Amino acid sequence: MMDESGTSISRRRLLSMIGRAAGSTAMYQAMHSLGFAAESSFRDPVQLSAAPKGASVLVLGAGIAGLVAAYELRNAGYRVQVLEYNARAGGRNWTLRGGDRYTELGGETQECRFDPGLYINPGPWRLPYHHRGMLSYCKRLGVALEPFMQINYNAYLHSHKAFGGKPQRLRTVKADYQGHVAELLSKATRSQALDADVTAEDREILLDSLRMWGALDQNYRFAKGSDSSERRGFDRDPGGGLSARPAFSEPVSLSDLLHSGLWAALQFGDAYDFQTTMFQPVGGMGQVGQAFARELGPLIRFNAKIVEIRQDDKGVVAAFEDVAAGSSRQTLRADWCVCTIPLSILGQIPMNVGAPMAQAIAAVPYCTGLKVGLQFKRRFWEEDEQIYGGVTYTDLPIGQISYPSSRYFDSGKGVLLGAYIWDMINSMDFSSMSPADRVSKAVEYGSQIHPQYRQEFEHGVAVAWHRAPFAMGCFGLWTDATRAQHYDNLCAFDGRIVLAGEHASYLPAWQEGAVTSALDAIGRLHQRALAAGAAA
Amino acid sequence: MNEQPRHANLLCIAFGACLLMSAMLIEAPALANTAGILDTTPLATVDGRQIYEHVCRGCHMPDAGGAVGAGRYPALAKDPTLVSRQFMALTILMGRRNMPAFGARHAIAFGGPPAVLSEAQIASVINYVRSHFGNHYKDQITAAEVGALDRSIP
Repeated sequence: MMDESGTSISRRRLLSMIGRAAGSTAMYQAMHSLGFAAESSFRDPVQLSAAPKGASVLVLGAGIAGLVAAYELRNAGYRVQVLEYNARAGGRNWTLRGGDRYTELGGETQECRFDPGLYINPGPWRLPYHHRGMLSYCKRLGVALEPFMQINYNAYLHSHKAFGGKPQRLRTVKADYQGHVAELLSKATRSQALDADVTAEDREILLDSLRMWGALDQNYRFAKGSDSSERRGFDRDPGGGLSARPAFSEPVSLSDLLHSGLWAALQFGDAYDFQTTMFQPVGGMGQVGQAFARELGPLIRFNAKIVEIRQDDKGVVAAFEDVAAGSSRQTLRADWCVCTIPLSILGQIPMNVGAPMAQAIAAVPYCTGLKVGLQFKRRFWEEDEQIYGGVTYTDLPIGQISYPSSRYFDSGKGVLLGAYIWDMINSMDFSSMSPADRVSKAVEYGSQIHPQYRQEFEHGVAVAWHRAPFAMGCFGLWTDATRAQHYDNLCAFDGRIVLAGEHASYLPAWQEGAVTSALDAIGRLHQRALAAGAAA
Repeated sequence: MNEQPRHANLLCIAFGACLLMSAMLIEAPALANTAGILDTTPLATVDGRQIYEHVCRGCHMPDAGGAVGAGRYPALAKDPTLVSRQFMALTILMGRRNMPAFGARHAIAFGGPPAVLSEAQIASVINYVRSHFGNHYKDQITAAEVGALDRSIP
């Protein structure tokens, strides 16, 4: 930000002379080397200094990146116009509720028939505690948040090939894996196998910690008894009165556990992105996009399909068609453009940018992920299985089942996330099915974990992201090699155009990637606009 | 700033980028939400129609008519660019824009193994598409030819 004190006035005059004499690029370089144009980082709240008088910005796309950019630029005093393909704001930030209709590529329309208050988030659905940008905008825009249960010790890990296909509670798999590993390690420690690595003094501490970590008994064994049952649960829980005596549960053998493969799903809750506490907006993730839309009001023009983006050294013109009115081509012009259109679509829109950005846009394929939401007559997962929120992981193609983190103990109906398919093989297969087939496949697979499906299922919706007309893919799939070659070129200004979105971030698929990329882009835009404004 | 209209160069750009990219492609970094216990079974069939129905149909649609939204998926029905079986093979091997690559050397892993089609599967699905959906090309591509094309990619 400009320092208004001390020598800044004369520096500003100096800069404006550079601008007049050598153009805005030279002036920007001068500002940068004088330390005026520091890189943006997330500040709460974001505050750009005042925009140059009359400066205008065209924002393409009203997803999270476009909404953040438009909101902050407008607050700084820019004249902002947003063009959005959909008839709603949010982009992939989206909630499907009863009464919503969704037409995917190929023309099939699904009508969501969920009961009032029930919903599914086809796109993003959870916010890590360290995604400060998203959490900050929720707070500022009045979007109420509630805890999202990522980890539920009473949800299942399931392999159709292990334990006779019977789902195992996360609690028992975790306790048994930890217990067996602790027992083995304590054996090695006590038989002096680790003496080269552990001092005699550390040995005793290590043994104590292993006993505690693995719930081992006095003899460093992980065995049926009170220690292990306090972790993995009891065959009969302790109670009161004459029926008080608990019955301990039998740990699964190490070999069975290893061969089940279920240990591979234990790490999810340990990952930085999934650690407790996570949040979700009350009433669906789409509340965030809607809140931004209320804030921006008439600045967003909906149903606008961008057909060409053209810049010269004075500004940027976007040509678009109104897909609702079926009208012919119109144009909007502004000094600058923040383009947040997914690369899957942007790569097809004629745009005069240089080869580095054009090649970057073309270099990123998109994930084929998809989700299925299923409504059931009752919340059997709570009533029969005491599962309150959280995720069951399975080796079946549906990948996971997630239970709602809201309206616990409601005696009415409930909606599950019945499939969340990330992997390329299964997601392409599911995307190739009709929506109705995706739903019935999700029910078929899910009933292997919850037999109640057969009785209780009512109806569902399925969103395959490659078939979403406004996204044509779930998110950008970068590799280390494509990042090394193209990422900086994708994010750098090309003339008066800068790109933003999750694809222009190191947080692929996360909304925080969209937020931070938008803030980074508008920070650089602002410095250029100030430089150009001073030069004018 | 390059004032060239972008679309004029699109094909060269896309192809040039792919050629460069494929040489350097390594396995995608393991993201936190990957794999776990998922049991993914690669498509075993070499039947062109079945491959189309399990892999291609999601975007190119049941009638191979493609689709139009904010962007578009190209139709393969009556598609004049299918005149070159080699063009089609290279596109499937290396991917194009948001279309993932299916060649074993080029496919990106995410959330499990990459979706790889063998040289025989690629040949088979090409021959299927080029002789259905209103396409009547008489020449066929072989797995060996797909393999040779793959080896020509640096």
